[in-house]
Amino acid sequence: MDLDPQTLTKAAAFTGGAIAMGLGAIGAASGEGYTAGHATEAIARANDRAGDIIKNMLVGQAISESASIFSLVIAILLLFLSTPEPGVLKAASLFGAGLCMGFGAIGSGVGAGLPAGKSCIGIARQPAVGGRLTTNMLIGTAVCQTPAIFAMVVALLLMFKEPGTTAASPTWAALIGAGLSTGLAAIGSGYGGGMAAGASCEGVARQPDTAASVTTTMLVGQAVSQTPSVFGLLISFILLFKAFPESAALSDSVGLLAAGLCMGLGGLGPGIGNGMVAEGAVRWVARNIENAGDLMRVMLVGQAVSQSTAIYAMVVSLVLIFVV
Amino acid sequence: MEGLGRLHQIVFTIAGQRFVVNLEPLVMTWIVFGLLIIFGIAAAHKKKRLPGPVQLVGELVVTQLYGLTEEALGARHARVYSPLICALFIFLLLSNWLGILPHLEEPTRDLNTPLSLGLLGFVIAHYAGIREKGFKTYFKSYFEPVFFLMPLNLIGELAKIVSISFRLFGNIMGGAIIILVVSHLTYSILLPPFLNAFFGLFVGTIQAFVFTMLTVVYISVQIK
Amino acid sequence: MAIEGVDLVKAAALLGAGLSMGLGAIGPGIGEGMAAAKACEAIGRNPKEAGLLTRTMLVGQAVAESTGIYSLVIALLLLFVV
Repeated sequence: MDLDPQTLTKAAAFTGGAIAMGLGAIGAASGEGYTAGHATEAIARANDRAGDIIKNMLVGQAISESASIFSLVIAILLLFLSTPEPGVLKAASLFGAGLCMGFGAIGSGVGAGLPAGKSCIGIARQPAVGGRLTTNMLIGTAVCQTPAIFAMVVALLLMFKEPGTTAASPTWAALIGAGLSTGLAAIGSGYGGGMAAGASCEGVARQPDTAASVTTTMLVGQAVSQTPSVFGLLISFILLFKAFPESAALSDSVGLLAAGLCMGLGGLGPGIGNGMVAEGAVRWVARNIENAGDLMRVMLVGQAVSQSTAIYAMVVSLVLIFVV
Repeated sequence: MEGLGRLHQIVFTIAGQRFVVNLEPLVMTWIVFGLLIIFGIAAAHKKKRLPGPVQLVGELVVTQLYGLTEEALGARHARVYSPLICALFIFLLLSNWLGILPHLEEPTRDLNTPLSLGLLGFVIAHYAGIREKGFKTYFKSYFEPVFFLMPLNLIGELAKIVSISFRLFGNIMGGAIIILVVSHLTYSILLPPFLNAFFGLFVGTIQAFVFTMLTVVYISVQIK
Repeated sequence: MAIEGVDLVKAAALLGAGLSMGLGAIGPGIGEGMAAAKACEAIGRNPKEAGLLTRTMLVGQAVAESTGIYSLVIALLLLFVV
């Protein structure tokens, strides 16, 4: 079956747009549902604070929605973008952009729902710290959007990449691999960052006087949890900007696709694991402030060790790109 | 965008072997050395009972790191390894911060720097282990719990070098690329200073600390 | 496009290497995270034993990581030996 380039490119763009929005809706919807559920619970506990709780819920949901708004923007661009240079490469990069944004929005969407929900419960428990809780939630959710922003940057770069005269094979696989790498790796980091932020909202509500330490621990924990998605981004950029010599062999293309897949999947687990560590550390900093230094140190060592499999995945990806 | 992945290299041949020298990390490493020597002299020169600002920073760094090492290794070993840990941390810290200055870049952005520091930590940890436990006990630990797991124990041990050095490299390189690409996309207004503060100062500090702590942990695992 | 047998086998080996390491990294990542999270909890409850708890955490993580190292070995075998 021979497709003309314009049809192929349009088909890829439409499929990519559908994937971007379809997958991108999963995370934000679950996150917002979690927030709303906890807000309802909070109102049941303290119905005289209903106004504050609903306000907090709406602010939190607005932020966890931003991941799916990124998806919407990418999907609309994919649907209406004009394609002056149609071809296999353009098709691959548009499809890759869709995959990247779709997967990339899942983690941040779910993750951002956790602090929003926890802070609603917190307001019911400690009405006096409401303002501080909302601020803490805003910082936490903003940081856990970072992986989704990485995914959007890669998606935009893929969409506006000009194929020029590059041969189709094996670069098409590199472009799809670039999308998969950042997209999948962002799931873990986004969710992990949300877990840390959730624990910090809970902690601030329990022990308002520890807020400063709790927020610092949360930020450090989130920054380290983001490492897997930074690795994913690194592999994506290499796949995007390295010039691959033309080759008709299937193995060269599949190798590049496998590199993206390897880093993407490999970043997923460690991202969630790092989030768990940060969650545990933040929770116990709030309960046991005297040992904040010890806890921070154990958190960093624990996170560093649980990242090592993501690093092995990065090494295998680099070998797939540069050596094989 | 064109700056991405560009390297200044000297390639020369001795006895049929091709040698490649990456110039940038070498020059940047020497700049870090220079800055550290100036800092060291300024902090230790004319010590006063009421310390000045530089002396205060120096004393703070040294006491904190000595304390950390002592907690992990015990007082006896800490006396041997603390200076090394201290030097490692301030070198990494300054290296990771160097990139925020225009026209300079982090020496840790080149894989060779973290890899050699990782190898250094690995060799020191194993030397400490052999010296503490004796060669026989050290050697036997590879055949536990069952003897045929030896290759996997060996790979697990070697994988530590890979993970410690690629972690630093990936974070610093990833940050540098993100800053470059975002500056390109937004025409270098508004966002890059914040990104530099985040990736250069914040992530750089955390990664320097993680690298140092892991080196301490590797030593402590070997000697216990 | 005709695909030769050798090419197909090599492609499968490369894809297998990527999937082996990629999927193999998920479990240890989460598992080691759980271990470290519990270690934080334990140190929060009993800070005096911080040194012992950290060492236990590291040993536990090293064991949990072994499946990740098996994946790495298989990936490298697929890349270079097969």
